[in-house]
Amino acid sequence: MTPNSDMDVSTPRSMRDQFAIVGVGETTYTRGSGRSTRALGTWAIRNAMEDAGLGPDDIDGMLSYSNNDSTPATFMAGDLGIRLNFFMDCYGGGSSTEALIGMATGVIAAGMCKTVVIFRAMNGFSQVRIGGTGARSAVPVDGDNLHSRAYGWQSAGQMFAPSFLRHMYDYGTTPEQVAMVKVVHSEHASNNPKALYKKRLTVDDVLSSRMICKPLHLLDCCVETDNATAIIVTSIDRARDCKHRPAIIRSIAGRVCKPRADMHYQAGPISTVAGHYAKDILWPNAGVGPEDIDVTGAYDAFTFTTMLQLEDYGFCKKGEGGQYVSDGTTRLGGKRPNNTSGGHLCEGYTHGMNMVIENVRQLRGDVDDSCPIGPDGKRQHTYDYREGGCRQVKDVELTANLGWANPGTGSAMVMMRG
Amino acid sequence: MAQIPLPRPYQDTEAYWSAAKEHRFVIQKCRDCGEHQFYPRGVCSHCLSSALDWVEASGSGTVYSFSVNYRAPHPGFAGKTPFVLAIVELAEGPRMMTNIVDCDPESVRIGMPVVVTFDDVTEEITLPKFRPA
Ligand SMILES: [Zn+2]
Repeated sequence: MTPNSDMDVSTPRSMRDQFAIVGVGETTYTRGSGRSTRALGTWAIRNAMEDAGLGPDDIDGMLSYSNNDSTPATFMAGDLGIRLNFFMDCYGGGSSTEALIGMATGVIAAGMCKTVVIFRAMNGFSQVRIGGTGARSAVPVDGDNLHSRAYGWQSAGQMFAPSFLRHMYDYGTTPEQVAMVKVVHSEHASNNPKALYKKRLTVDDVLSSRMICKPLHLLDCCVETDNATAIIVTSIDRARDCKHRPAIIRSIAGRVCKPRADMHYQAGPISTVAGHYAKDILWPNAGVGPEDIDVTGAYDAFTFTTMLQLEDYGFCKKGEGGQYVSDGTTRLGGKRPNNTSGGHLCEGYTHGMNMVIENVRQLRGDVDDSCPIGPDGKRQHTYDYREGGCRQVKDVELTANLGWANPGTGSAMVMMRG
Repeated sequence: MAQIPLPRPYQDTEAYWSAAKEHRFVIQKCRDCGEHQFYPRGVCSHCLSSALDWVEASGSGTVYSFSVNYRAPHPGFAGKTPFVLAIVELAEGPRMMTNIVDCDPESVRIGMPVVVTFDDVTEEITLPKFRPA
């Protein structure tokens, strides 16, 4: 077939619905795992294989990412008896999960391997904390840090805060509106037995917590945890043989950047983030738009990141993100719940992967809340979202994950119920 | 007391740091398209020319956005909080990450006019910072 024949195989549209997530697994979210990232990673991968109904012989691809601590894929595979036909460990943070799922679909399509496990293993609390204090402080100052570190620019919160403050200035967004992201995610976490923080919070709780770097209060920031997470991607044909209903991948935007990604604030308004560009890949390739999405997973390293991404991916008009995240739309029982696990703000921090895992479970209709398990082994969801209750959204057909590395770089994925 | 993390000048930035040491604030200007850029690079990020000259900047700018930082990000900043992390838009166009000093951190506002000032941190390194104009 020549490239210009009637079927254009070069466009991502030809990949739509050809791949699926068939297995998800995680460790508990702790502050002090007492185990190595190697042990944590193997547990998460084992759990994902078990979830998919697959064994080590069924997996032949492995991808991972890290920008603090991790263990390379070859060690994980060796421990688990997996022989690899393809693997890659790459540098990256919050925009990696969706991007690596996209890579997995590409290498499977290229015939390089058949089924890929993607993992993230980190002792993000007890070993190498993201930004802030800890080992990162000792890193020599060079490259793009040369013109920032000496001024005290170091943590993610510090780097992103000017975008948040500028959004307040440009659009009148208020701290009260944005604090609702934490309030809503804490409600969701209270219905998630796995969540590190299960206590329901109020806007006052957030605004009266101490200021870290304006406009970020302590409770605008996510938790730091030790944990590992894993996802298994395969072709739709193989997915049909797995244990659960597949979460079908409709579209992926991977590590889309704003102009001048090296220092995002040097080009264009900093109150606009990478989603502004990623949406033009995500929605056309998915064949659906934001209005069709039932559940979102907008990265919540900070309350503001959720708001900025939902806005720039088009879930509301530009500038109306503060309204969107505070009017009840995003809570369980609302029109389009966001981060039903409690996300990074409350469940645990694993650089985006737990939000994809949550949406896979939402699409299966099988989130792991406290609802009773029926004789068929499936949870009998009550759809009663009061504290300690259900967190399954009714009839989820389409989900969107919006991953964030920083204001200048983001990834996204639309999944469909199989 | 711990030292703050300091830049290690390299080929592309030596001229910038040695000028700062003499309390001169220089940025790159493209001989081909006339645009300025910061931080220093090997090519003009507007037209890709490598004909870049060092020129003395006016030292004037406005606060494009900022954050008031209440937590020491590194032992070298202990006792120095709160301090202002700011993105200053220079009169010549580029934006730079810096600190706003010589004022109450909570008085800083977006759009505030600022001028360059020099902080001699060590004998080798001077950091250009900004204060209210
Ligand atoms: Zn030029």
